[in-house]
Amino acid sequence: MTSLGSSSSSTTEYVVRVPKNTSKKYNIMAFNAGDKVSCSTWTQARMERDMSNRRIYGEEETQEGAAGSEFGKKQREEARRKKYGIVTKEFKVEDQPWILKVNGKAGRRFKGLKKGGVTENASYYIFTQCADGAFEAFPVHSWYNFTPQAKHRTLTAEEAEEEWGRRNKVVNHFSIMLQRRLRGQERGEEDEEEGEKGGKKKKKGGRGGDLRIHDLEDDLEMSSDESDGSNGDDDEAKSKAKKDKGPKGKGKKKKKKGSDLEGFEDSDDGDFEGLEVDYMSDESSSEEEEPEKTKPNKGEDVPKGIDEMSDSEEESEEENKNEEDGKEEEEEEDGKKTPVQVEKKKKKDSSGESDSSEDSDIEGEAASALFMKKRTPPKRGGGRGSAGSSRTGSRPGTPSIDNAATSNTLRAAANKLEQGKRQTTVPSSETPAAKRLKMEPSPQSSSGNGTPQPASGKSTPSSSDVLLTEDAVRRYLIRKPMTTKDLLKKFQTKRTGLSSEQTVNVLAQILKRLNPERKNINDKMHFYLTE
Amino acid sequence: MSDKGQFVDLTRAKQHTGVWLVKVPKYLSQQWAKAPGRGEVGKLKIGKAQGKTAVSFSLNEELTVVQCSGEKVSSVRSPREHPFTMQTVGGQTLAVFTETSDKLALEGMVVQRAECRPAVSESYMKLKKLQIEESTKPLRFSQKLEKAITTNYKPVSNHSHNVEYEKRKKEEGKRARADKQKVLEMLFSAFEKHQYYNIRDLVDITKQPVIYLKEILREIGVYNSRGPHKSTWELKPEYRHYEEGQEDEEEKIE
Repeated sequence: MTSLGSSSSSTTEYVVRVPKNTSKKYNIMAFNAGDKVSCSTWTQARMERDMSNRRIYGEEETQEGAAGSEFGKKQREEARRKKYGIVTKEFKVEDQPWILKVNGKAGRRFKGLKKGGVTENASYYIFTQCADGAFEAFPVHSWYNFTPQAKHRTLTAEEAEEEWGRRNKVVNHFSIMLQRRLRGQERGEEDEEEGEKGGKKKKKGGRGGDLRIHDLEDDLEMSSDESDGSNGDDDEAKSKAKKDKGPKGKGKKKKKKGSDLEGFEDSDDGDFEGLEVDYMSDESSSEEEEPEKTKPNKGEDVPKGIDEMSDSEEESEEENKNEEDGKEEEEEEDGKKTPVQVEKKKKKDSSGESDSSEDSDIEGEAASALFMKKRTPPKRGGGRGSAGSSRTGSRPGTPSIDNAATSNTLRAAANKLEQGKRQTTVPSSETPAAKRLKMEPSPQSSSGNGTPQPASGKSTPSSSDVLLTEDAVRRYLIRKPMTTKDLLKKFQTKRTGLSSEQTVNVLAQILKRLNPERKNINDKMHFYLTE
Repeated sequence: MSDKGQFVDLTRAKQHTGVWLVKVPKYLSQQWAKAPGRGEVGKLKIGKAQGKTAVSFSLNEELTVVQCSGEKVSSVRSPREHPFTMQTVGGQTLAVFTETSDKLALEGMVVQRAECRPAVSESYMKLKKLQIEESTKPLRFSQKLEKAITTNYKPVSNHSHNVEYEKRKKEEGKRARADKQKVLEMLFSAFEKHQYYNIRDLVDITKQPVIYLKEILREIGVYNSRGPHKSTWELKPEYRHYEEGQEDEEEKIE
């Protein structure tokens, strides 16, 4: 190394060597400056070739021999390819991308793609300075551009397209991945018992963000606003679920926006926002609940010839179950104020779950219901309404109850037709009628619906041997302790002329008035009176 | 997942060695390849002139001889002086890794990029001219022949290839019908290997006359006239047992 000094400049000379040994191949590893990669932070690095393209480039090896193979197929294929001049690229290991893993499993991953054309017109050399001050120049063999690989979950192409279509509507982007994950969970767990999942989900309903076309399975998983007053939604959702899932009923206490359900009339997101279920006043609630009263209840009373859909079968199954359930439900709901809870309960009841589970749940809740009932003023109208409506997987917007036997048939038919459609406008005549019916047996002024509906609905059970009255109940309870189930059995819908919903509601009212004593026999809550 | 792949040797990277990435013209790298002995190719001059760093490379004398294609000895010499243009590594983080047959190692980071440019001179221009001339020459060209070629296409009574073929055929003789059982065995073993066969291939395999073979095939097999495996023979379903052993086939024929 010689130094040449001169007046205003100094130059130092270094020898440049180009070593002859070619065993080591030098390559460039290029990172984008924005990725902030610093080799000094690497404690450990692993690198390997990414061979995932091998099967694309290498011919797909069909199974040799045995079934499905032809004799001489390979040669024929080759001859054919030559004839048509099809040239397939070879799979060169040299050209395959690198996979670089830094700092072990939790560290970053990079993919290095080979950059073509680097050595075509000019050569790159790496100049390193050696101990003796001379420079050594090594030619660069190839250049790889390394990009970091995402570790977080990403959307697939289909999902991305979906979301793109909704980009103007979705405000809450976090929910996108959340829903996707939950959808996956849902598929994994078929018959899970509800609920708390509903509560756990933190969803801020995006506006219109939940407007989606989903398959049924998806419907149930979609979480919707927990807030709520849209009992309507809830009920419809449940009814839809029930209808289509039948015994498999997922019983998820999730609410769905109506628009999510297949086959339903399109409704905008905001349709149900204003719905308020006000348990304080029977009026409003009745209007809300009535539309959702399930027709299936009716269906029972009516000769099933109208519609042999499985719905009716399901309904009847659930009917029986729900009669018992409904009772407790009512009582519970009288106490319950949060709509959410109400819905949960409703969902529970309305799902096609096994009876046993329901029963055990219900019994316990009946007790709590009664307790709560004491605490709170009797505002049962709304509760009852919701109970009734939800009980049997309430069909949305179906005028549920009708007393006159003749009109039962017609209504049943009409309602079944309307099932599946979410209707917010329901012949309001029905609803107050139903309400009215419930009110009748119990002259409860507080719950009296002011809605005058004389025509449709005075419930004089046409041919009833048994009237669901307070006296009747009292008699039973004095005679011996009974569970709510037993009581309901006594007042069969066929004999009282009331629908099961009504029965339940009325019975709940009566019990509230009677305030019977309770005893636990065989783990079941029995009521009894001592006069 | 992170257990696959070789470890990259990070020892040299830890030393924070900085390297230069230099872009070098093709002709220069060709000259460097000819370097004898230890590989010394020239000298790098790094100077500071009025605050600016000037880097320049001078090629050794003996390496300036340019090899050119063709017979004539080149009178062209490559230039000797090559100033470097220094550039920053800004938008990219460049690292150098080496690959040997068994090992990967990270050598260091690039701290400086440079381009090696030839100092423009007469010799360089001549060199370029030479290069252009070479590159414009087409790869294929027509050549005029003085004499016509008469060594091919001579008429022959019978081509040698043909003669061989006929001899071979004669040796083989006509295909004789073998014992039916034997033929069946041959067929079954053939169908063990592949499912579909062309009749021609079966004739080759069994060396039986076509008609006889066809008769046998009609008994045990079925002909696919349509479908993905067109015009092929396969065994009848009852004779097929492709997952399990082939013994059942034997049983079936009995």
